[in-house]
Amino acid sequence: MIEKMEMDAERLREVLTLSRIGLPEESYQEVLDRVNDILRLCDKMRELAHEEAEPFEWDVKKAPARRADEPVRWSGRDLFLSEAPVRDGDFFRVPRIIALEDDGEEE
Amino acid sequence: MEFHKLSAREIASGVKEGRFTAEEVVLAAIERVKKYDGKYNSIVTLCEDEATAAAVKADEAAASGVEPGPLAGVPFVVKDNFCTSGIETACGSKMLRGWRPHYDATAVKYMKEAGAVLIGKANMDEFAMGSTTESSVFGPTLNPRDTGRVPGGSSGGSAAAVAAGLVPVALGSDTGGSVRQPAAFCGVQGMKPSYGQISRYGIVAYASSLDQVGPLTRNIGDMALLMDVLAKEDPNDTTCDAYERPSFSGALENASLAGKKIALLSGYERGSIEKPLADAIDRAAAIARDAGAEIVEARLPITMEHTVACYYMIALGDASSKLACYDGMRYGHHADGKNLSEMYKKSRMEGFGDEVRRRILVGTCILTRGYYENYFVPATKVRRMIADEFRELFKEADALICPIIPSLAYKRGLVEEDPVRMYLGDVFTTIANLAGLPSMSLNMGFTSDGLPTNVQLLAPRFGDAELLSYASLMEKAAGAPAAVDPEKEGR
Amino acid sequence: MKREVVIGLEIHLQLKTKTKLFCGCSTDYIGATPNSNVCPICLAVPGTLPVINDHAVDLAVKMGLGLHCDIQDNTRFHRKHYFYADLPKAYQITQYEHAIAQGGYLDIIADGKKKRVRLDHLHLEEDAGKLVHPTSDGRLSGAAYSLVDYNRGGMPLSEIVSMPDMNSPAEAIAYVTQIRQLARYLEVSDGEMESGSLRVDVNVSLRNADGSLGTRVELKNINSLKSIERALEYEIARQNRVLDEGGTLVQETRLWDDAAGVTRSMRSKEGARDYRYYVEMDLAPIDAKPEYVEKIRASLPEMPWDRRDRFVERYGLTLEESQQITEQREMADYYEEMVAAGAPAAKAANWARMEVQRLLREDGIDIASFPVPAKELGALIAKVEGRELSNTQAKDVLSAMYGEKLPLKEAMKKCGASGGRLTGEALKAVIEKVFAAEPEAVDTIKKGADKKGAKAKFLQGLVMRETRGSADPAEVARTLAEMLK
Repeated sequence: MIEKMEMDAERLREVLTLSRIGLPEESYQEVLDRVNDILRLCDKMRELAHEEAEPFEWDVKKAPARRADEPVRWSGRDLFLSEAPVRDGDFFRVPRIIALEDDGEEE
Repeated sequence: MEFHKLSAREIASGVKEGRFTAEEVVLAAIERVKKYDGKYNSIVTLCEDEATAAAVKADEAAASGVEPGPLAGVPFVVKDNFCTSGIETACGSKMLRGWRPHYDATAVKYMKEAGAVLIGKANMDEFAMGSTTESSVFGPTLNPRDTGRVPGGSSGGSAAAVAAGLVPVALGSDTGGSVRQPAAFCGVQGMKPSYGQISRYGIVAYASSLDQVGPLTRNIGDMALLMDVLAKEDPNDTTCDAYERPSFSGALENASLAGKKIALLSGYERGSIEKPLADAIDRAAAIARDAGAEIVEARLPITMEHTVACYYMIALGDASSKLACYDGMRYGHHADGKNLSEMYKKSRMEGFGDEVRRRILVGTCILTRGYYENYFVPATKVRRMIADEFRELFKEADALICPIIPSLAYKRGLVEEDPVRMYLGDVFTTIANLAGLPSMSLNMGFTSDGLPTNVQLLAPRFGDAELLSYASLMEKAAGAPAAVDPEKEGR
Repeated sequence: MKREVVIGLEIHLQLKTKTKLFCGCSTDYIGATPNSNVCPICLAVPGTLPVINDHAVDLAVKMGLGLHCDIQDNTRFHRKHYFYADLPKAYQITQYEHAIAQGGYLDIIADGKKKRVRLDHLHLEEDAGKLVHPTSDGRLSGAAYSLVDYNRGGMPLSEIVSMPDMNSPAEAIAYVTQIRQLARYLEVSDGEMESGSLRVDVNVSLRNADGSLGTRVELKNINSLKSIERALEYEIARQNRVLDEGGTLVQETRLWDDAAGVTRSMRSKEGARDYRYYVEMDLAPIDAKPEYVEKIRASLPEMPWDRRDRFVERYGLTLEESQQITEQREMADYYEEMVAAGAPAAKAANWARMEVQRLLREDGIDIASFPVPAKELGALIAKVEGRELSNTQAKDVLSAMYGEKLPLKEAMKKCGASGGRLTGEALKAVIEKVFAAEPEAVDTIKKGADKKGAKAKFLQGLVMRETRGSADPAEVARTLAEMLK
């Protein structure tokens, strides 16, 4: 038997954080219903998949040539930077990050 | 001259022989888009200046003795998730509204190198997630065969543009049926080649191991021509196979079904398929039998039972990963936030539509600890079982005939009512993506109401040339679909 | 209570390729204009795909073989997901379940003792970009925003993960030093901690009295060998103190503050992170068939430890001498060339360790850019051995060869050493000069008042100094005696 693993509000909150998607609290139930519909679709498949089966891999007819280690300079940099939403001189600009690896996730 | 009735092959030979110019053809196509596409909304960005300039340049080159390419002067559109240099590539999303890539997708590049002229970008479901082309930031596309119905999706704009005769050929992308299902709904031919057949470089990703570029045409001859141009290795995409492709057009010349074993899929409720579509299967089988093929029955129990669940796990898991790059920093929709996390959340909440957000959430969920082992990993194992089931089948048979989709083109607005039913509509299409098989949506004529009927034809992986050859024979018997006449008021 | 220290290290080596791991951007990014060393792939532009750099795979395999790892065929890349401003795809392409090189070990020498440190694995991954935190008035704190530079994003790294087999800061340092040495021998990486081409994260815990392993703490932001030692000493003392006072340690990551000399908790929620690793399907498995691995193995130079042992055996050097000379491949090459040019092994070793090292140190240069050809220095040392010139003279000659870039012959001429030993009339002339400068001593001796011979020895010393050792001491004594009669 497989374990039922439906998503609840707490789990949804974690997933929203991990995927950096904002969602107003009043939409939670609707999203949970839809998400759980999809998860339920998988129950039979989960029963079928047993440990021994190997995960899927592509068959390759002929592997492509490998990339040679030769530098190529990109000419589009200035244009790209000029169109970036958060450009600051030569940089991209983001809200201040306080500590190393702190992602500003204050909860 | 009625250029819109010509096939790509006819246009290219006309230009080559000097019977008309690329400029004439392209201007006529642009004119037609302006005149009629208001009705369908199939094309979201028309690149008139670039197209005209390219056509003029092609004519000048031809005049100076340069050998014109196999698609000389052929106007085409690509789905809005193909990167096009300097031309907006929005993926039907607010997230990328106004974004102009600095490069052409490899498929676009190969088309242009063959002499084809890009005239515009075709509408699509946001980030290719949908099967109705109703979720685009540019508004819905309507089905030219019946404007009360959807064109299918997610490459609905590409299919509608070909059906409406705006262009002879178009490109779409197919992750779980996104070329073949709209081709079926709009009454054109649509193909998803084998995985690894055409470069994915420059296609805004939905799911790396499922996405494949697919051509939409009004006949199999043009399909083979496009495959000759598109199916090549690419140093920018190492998942694109480097094997030497056969000539796809050449494969049509000696096409034969004599002695071939064609499998008919059974094991599903015939009643679950709308009658005209079930009849189309019978008709396709009869055509094959008449052409000398042996018809055998095939069962794919694991595939039929589990493909949709398996597909959604693989597709959504990957989508949550590939769509993580939209963070509002380097391109795309940006919203300010008081810290980094808030900037990300606001940018992504505002930039993505409901369905995209929902799929990212499911995808993220199934990759987290606990769910990964219980949802994602089982899906990768079942995927192998599905691929193995097909491998066994194709030891016994040369091709498989089955439905594309159980229904005729949906009425508009249905998606909001029952999204899971929509997902279940993907049973027959997703099998080809999971197993990496070449698959064709082949038109089998129209109902008395003028709605297209169709079958799906599948072949073993890298059996694309054989698939095209069988399809061409069946098209000869069933007839290639003509474009809609937009002058006639549709339903 | 004395608790055993348990240390494991994770070393990131930036591989010495010309291009990044998955795109054609140059790896030569230090000092470049921000965001100039970038392209659509390393900026995660929609539609782009990674393409593996062949040479990076070669280098990882090379390093793996040097570390006695098992090289695995068909290993996969994984995506490691987290949102951060320096990570444009919001996932890092790395190897997770199946690294290209598994197992392996490194024999280190610390505190004069040999010890085997086992490795868990070595894998390939891409680097992230860099953040800058400026302010309007130029200070580095208090600004409302941070700036992102993606020049470093996508640099090829190989991460070497050791087992927790080290038990002292000295062993940790020896391990890092030897990894660095190997990386340089194999030309896999520059291995410079200062520029960040070698980075070290330290895991340290204390073994409890009952033998069980204590809580593990990871130390980051360590930028020099000295800091490894200091950070470890601080952290070991801190953990001991906490435990002595009856407290408990938390599993956490702590940052080393070099200026303050302390480690600080990062307040990060370790358990809260879920990187959602899964297979990167945009890349095919890495092809590393046995034939390919054997080809790389055949191209490997002599390993530093083999060379060190060989030098002891073949040249009769002590382990310490050999270690010093073989520390750098170029120095070991230099040494062997000197010996081949005729320099006796022991003398050549002394010259390499003393004179050559001194000059390198003084000018802060590398043996690779040392201007004196090994052949010539070897020939010079051979001349000392053949008593053609003295040690002192030879050092002068080396100075001239080094400072003025003179070839051996000219340098010898310049130092007056080309004539060989000072003897006969020339020697007498020097002695006359010394006599002229020291008339009192000469008088004392001539009067027979130099009872103990001290004055004579004094004069002999002066002559030797004046001849810069180029005269034979016996001849000097004899000639002096004659001239003082």
